[in-house]
Amino acid sequence: MAVFMDLNVSYTADKIRLQRLIEKAAHLGYSTVAINYVVDLQEKKQEIGKPKCASELFDTFPTVQGSTRPIKVLNRLTIVATDPSHFRPTAEYKAYDLVAVFPKTEKLFHATCMTFDVDIICVAGSERQPFCFKISPVNGAIARGVFFEISYTPAIRDATTRRYTIANSISLMETCKGKNVIVTSGAERPIELRGPYDIANLGLLFGLSEQDGKAAISTNCRAVHLHGETRKTALGIIHTMKKVQPVSEGSKEDGVPPSKRAKIEMSS
Amino acid sequence: MVRVKSRYLLCEVCVEDRKNLLLLDERSIYVAAKAAVARVHGDYGSALTNLGFSVKYLNAHTGIVFLRCRRSHYRLIWSALPFITSLENRGQRVPCFLNCLHVGGTIRTCQKFLVQYNTRQLHRMLLVCQSEEERSEIRKAVLSCTLKKDNNDDYEESEEED
Repeated sequence: MAVFMDLNVSYTADKIRLQRLIEKAAHLGYSTVAINYVVDLQEKKQEIGKPKCASELFDTFPTVQGSTRPIKVLNRLTIVATDPSHFRPTAEYKAYDLVAVFPKTEKLFHATCMTFDVDIICVAGSERQPFCFKISPVNGAIARGVFFEISYTPAIRDATTRRYTIANSISLMETCKGKNVIVTSGAERPIELRGPYDIANLGLLFGLSEQDGKAAISTNCRAVHLHGETRKTALGIIHTMKKVQPVSEGSKEDGVPPSKRAKIEMSS
Repeated sequence: MVRVKSRYLLCEVCVEDRKNLLLLDERSIYVAAKAAVARVHGDYGSALTNLGFSVKYLNAHTGIVFLRCRRSHYRLIWSALPFITSLENRGQRVPCFLNCLHVGGTIRTCQKFLVQYNTRQLHRMLLVCQSEEERSEIRKAVLSCTLKKDNNDDYEESEEED
């Protein structure tokens, strides 16, 4: 039983709905979900807020169907942008486990594939793709380890969006030949989720081969997760962790200021 | 005569409200599946569902359904199942989706899988149990989960759902 991940679960302010979504995902067999915070930078000065800590939602995470471990919840940021200047990797990005970009123009798509420090590039689902996928930026992205994401919920909702999703994904497959693709839901409600084997089969409609379809929800997703983790570390080797110091009652202990006492653990 | 081979898709109907499950019957699932395949694959899909496609078994309490289709194009029908968004029964529309658990060549293999799956579900329910009586009931149910051999095609699986 492979490890299945669903890396795009829409964030809603409604806590109960989010809880039900995650419970449903655990019931279906997904071992990891990523809550997606979408930021559209075209509108007036949107702030990229801090993501909600996942442990606020649940005291104990629901167990995944088919294993004994609880489901893992990540945070993901998606930036909808038309201009390369919109994307500025600031410290706020570090708070998220995964960063994704939804490019709307050809120039931005090229820049995202070749230079930006992202994990996922979203392919339009509910509208016609304004530009064509060219081989050179797509191959550049594959070489860097950036993944392309296809979302299947627009296909389920409406017939016209279904046509756009299938058309866009097939045009992507022609250029990337099925490599570095992940399929995710963009589910806002628990009823929009689908089981992992069904999605692997949907990959056939999207132009993926049978093997690529299965990889799109398991191994490729895991690769994206690891890619996101390495962004927090230096070249993926060194990883810093803040050690929580126990609060000591009274200051009878040494008069060393707390800043000097804080240690940084180096673990390789 | 060469044997006609078929595939049995073992699916689970997932609804938000469990009471709505009891409203379902085989006909509504058959109609919904045919409509979905026709929507996604057009006339070719409709023609395929005319040939050897049927709903073999539906358990309204647990939401388990067996779909049977020909082996040569079960993938096509399977690929249209995620597009089912609701089931209709006697004028009432129930929003739901089908989650495919297992594909088997015979009903018997699907049954074996189902017994294992139900045992796992009972184990999961054991974790969320509140009272001791519920716990002992579940333990009893787990021990009595077997595949009974019957002469006619009667599938009996002992299971209990709260």
